[in-house]
Amino acid sequence: MFLTLQDNDKRPIYQQITDGIKDLIARGELRERMTLPSVRQVAGDLGVNLNTVAVAYRQLQDEGFVTVRHGAGAVISSRSPHPINQAELYKPLQTALTQLVLSGLTGREIVETVREQLALLQQKGGTR
Amino acid sequence: MSAPNVVGVYVFIICVIVPVLVYALVKQLWNLPLQNGTGYFFGVEVPPGFYEGPGRSWMGGFHAMVAALYGVCAVGLVAIVATRRWEMTPWWGGGFALLFVPTMFGFQAWTRHKLAADPPVRPVALALESRRMGDYISWPMEALAVALVALSWWLLLHGGRHFDWQSTLLQSWVVLGMIPGKMAMVRLSFPLPAERAEEHFRFQELSRRFWIRLSGIILQWYMLVVLLGVAVLRGVLPVHPAPVWRWLVLASGFAVWGYGVIVMFRGMQRMKAMGRELRPPGSWKTPFGRASCFGTGWAFQIWFAIWFGGILAFILYSLCKHGFK
Repeated sequence: MFLTLQDNDKRPIYQQITDGIKDLIARGELRERMTLPSVRQVAGDLGVNLNTVAVAYRQLQDEGFVTVRHGAGAVISSRSPHPINQAELYKPLQTALTQLVLSGLTGREIVETVREQLALLQQKGGTR
Repeated sequence: MSAPNVVGVYVFIICVIVPVLVYALVKQLWNLPLQNGTGYFFGVEVPPGFYEGPGRSWMGGFHAMVAALYGVCAVGLVAIVATRRWEMTPWWGGGFALLFVPTMFGFQAWTRHKLAADPPVRPVALALESRRMGDYISWPMEALAVALVALSWWLLLHGGRHFDWQSTLLQSWVVLGMIPGKMAMVRLSFPLPAERAEEHFRFQELSRRFWIRLSGIILQWYMLVVLLGVAVLRGVLPVHPAPVWRWLVLASGFAVWGYGVIVMFRGMQRMKAMGRELRPPGSWKTPFGRASCFGTGWAFQIWFAIWFGGILAFILYSLCKHGFK
């Protein structure tokens, strides 16, 4: 299983790793109790600083997507991350919608785009 | 049965090494820059028509370098045969290896610097599979290697007879140094291109296992057999042991070495076939930078510098102290 990091992505590296892993969890490719490679291995394979990967893993842990066990590495948690309030949950959605509106898409096109993206996730059986 | 004649053994070693070197030159080395096809030179992407233009001189330079290396090797061999200094055979073999490895790495670094100082940035794939040391390294075998080195020293020190402590120390350094070396090889990796990531991943896995296995046989276990064999001959057996013991030590060393050579050629053929269509690491860079000739991370580079530097230091010390006696 691979996580792809694009060359034109403007997000910080740790964010790309965090989002990529979340995406794989959402698609159902990374399942509960699967182990992620160690911080050292990921940093070595990508040729980035150890701290960058550690920050990504810490963020995933803080959000409840992985459990970091000493000696066992990072393990994917159950599909119910820590409860977060609705405002926090919808914040990224609002940001994305704002971007889509500003880019000139109509309401219908935005809904269609969201539906397509959701279908992509569901194809892998990741969402219920 | 008479004991193996020392000169005969050295002549036999030469007769075995020379065909292996010639085979390696013809089958692997001569066209090494073309191992990824004519779109690349030594792992660096080159424009179409390169081999009708500047590629000729690059290829000529590579061939000249290989010819020079083999020429030095041939001169050394002729000197040994002409002067009948057969005891110099290990220096000849080891010296060639010590000259060959840095020269090839140096040429590769030079190629990357001159032909592709700034390669294109491409998306990178990250394999989410853990690499555990235990999947690549057999810890009981490593423990056995350590125990056999300790046993060899114990036998030599308690045998009460003179032994060449410098060679013994060098062999122990090579054998024990391979343990952190293998660990560094497990960690060693090159970035995976997002395009055909699965194939690149499988190729990298094959390469990693091949190099760990090969260095384990040729550098670690071959040296260990020699070390233990000498320790048994000098530390356990009488001054003039039955010839069969000497033959046994000799045959064991050659068996391990021969097995290593077979593993090397078979593995290299397999890697050549599998890697032919894949993008070499030197031809691109990830959004975070370019992998060095030794891959990403510092563990392997630090280990190699210490281990290889140690071998060079041992040899230089011996040469300074004793000269070519």
